[in-house]
Amino acid sequence: MASSDILNLRTDDGMKLLVCNTHLGAQNVDFQMESYVYKRRPDGIHIINMRKTWEKLVLAARAIAAIEDPAEVFVISSRPYGQRAVLKFAVHTGATPIAGRFTPGTFTNQIQKAFREPRLLVVSDPRTDHQPIMEASYVNIPVIAFANTDSPLRFVDIAVPCNNKAAHSIGLMWWLLAREVLRIRGTLARDKPWNIMVDLFFYRDPEEIEKEEQQALTDKQVVPRQDTSNYAADWVQQNPDAPAVGGFSVEDVKDWAAEPIPAGFQGGAQWNEGAAATTTEWERSAPVAPSGGNQESWGGNNENWG
Amino acid sequence: MADRGGFRGGFGGRGGDRGGRGGDRGGDRGGDRGGRRGGRRGRGRGAKEEKAWVPVTKLGRLVQAGKIQSLEDIYYHALPIKEAEIIDNFLGPKLHDEVLKIMPVQKQTRAGQRTRFKAFVAIGDQDGHIGLGVKCSKEVATAIRGAIILAKLSIVPVRRGYWGNKMGKPHTVPCKVTGRCGSVLVRLIPAPRGTGIVSGPVPKKLLHMAGIDDCHTSTSGSTGTLGNFAKATYDAMTKTYSYLTPDLWTEMGLRASPYSAHAEFLSKGGFKKTVI
Repeated sequence: MASSDILNLRTDDGMKLLVCNTHLGAQNVDFQMESYVYKRRPDGIHIINMRKTWEKLVLAARAIAAIEDPAEVFVISSRPYGQRAVLKFAVHTGATPIAGRFTPGTFTNQIQKAFREPRLLVVSDPRTDHQPIMEASYVNIPVIAFANTDSPLRFVDIAVPCNNKAAHSIGLMWWLLAREVLRIRGTLARDKPWNIMVDLFFYRDPEEIEKEEQQALTDKQVVPRQDTSNYAADWVQQNPDAPAVGGFSVEDVKDWAAEPIPAGFQGGAQWNEGAAATTTEWERSAPVAPSGGNQESWGGNNENWG
Repeated sequence: MADRGGFRGGFGGRGGDRGGRGGDRGGDRGGDRGGRRGGRRGRGRGAKEEKAWVPVTKLGRLVQAGKIQSLEDIYYHALPIKEAEIIDNFLGPKLHDEVLKIMPVQKQTRAGQRTRFKAFVAIGDQDGHIGLGVKCSKEVATAIRGAIILAKLSIVPVRRGYWGNKMGKPHTVPCKVTGRCGSVLVRLIPAPRGTGIVSGPVPKKLLHMAGIDDCHTSTSGSTGTLGNFAKATYDAMTKTYSYLTPDLWTEMGLRASPYSAHAEFLSKGGFKKTVI
């Protein structure tokens, strides 16, 4: 590691780690994680040494890349925060994902249909994913785990210290691991950024997904503001308390000047002033909703109604 | 009730006794069946249906394809053996099994006792391998069959050494080893050539099947419980290869595990495509 700078932690990656709070551990420390902790903050949270996070990540990536058949690396997350990340990781590196419930006996019961024999496990959280870790111990499978400061390290062979509670942090760590594996394999170049966004690895709340879908629908339906063909309809919408609408039609009114001004009119004063001019225009114009020709006289009032 | 007792293969005197609780010990019943035990020897090889073995585990596939040279390779990497056919492949013809005991065990139900039979089977090739299997089943034959399979799966290598003067082939245990199971403690002690196996009948059988010619033993605990006695000697023999003697001090290099050495074969030549 000392000889080459290529595997060092770079500034942009470091910024990503900070932004996602991967360096913020838990209030407790497991004694085996002590060496990864930089310090304990006054409010109790332990701060993980980011450089060590990076170095263990690279070590883990090397172990993963060393497996000849990528499908024999099993990536596991029972917690929802890591499920999406695990699926994406599997797609991009060729690993096999187990997201959600891990059926006990998957690694040990050879009679089961779902019996699998992986060569390596990568686990999101040693505490919640303890079942696969325990089964791995029966069948000689090494385990890599994203461990928080309070995670138990029994049967974990490579621990990558990080925050495994926050959604962004988990997503980022899996993304970094995937990118590193691809770089070590030579599939990706080291100097160019990966064109897959980190956001694809983040957990999405089902409510958020619904909201986004709603947004997408409404964006399609919104009418452009400059279209004034529905002016009358718009006006009625904007002045719902104006009583005139049902009471008259344009044809009936012969003398507009004498017409009582409906209560909802904000531009009432201007109406009076420009009454003479407007009435003539009214009489001249077609007895339908005012068309574009009257725009100038209407224009000023329109702004008042806003 | 008496009918039921009689129906179950006619274990003589028991039918009448079994009124209330199944409080009788397995021990006294064992004596009844002494004569039967010998008759089962060598029964294993006779009428076996020839069904092609379809391996379920990776190791099974490698063994069937002949990629693994010997059992010792598997032992070296401590790979769990889940298919008995793997053992058959390497040791098949040399293996002899023997039923140590059929023990009826009972469970009390609302409608009387529910008896099952527990079979203890020891298996060995008399040349450094020993296995012990225990299986419980409603029928004796099924129990024995199951126990034989389990015995094969549990086969371990036994290290043999010399008492003094490394002449000829190793004939005794390399050092004093002791195994435990339950309360039983069995201690195996190296003996000079020609001593024979100096022990009770149960460990004698096991040691003989393992290929140990000379051995002294010392035991303690409730050796009447045959199950524990047998398991304790098996445990002791397993430990012969765990013991670090000075001649094993030299460091050997790492050997690639068969799974990685034969990765191509196992993935059938096609590694999964990845999306970049």
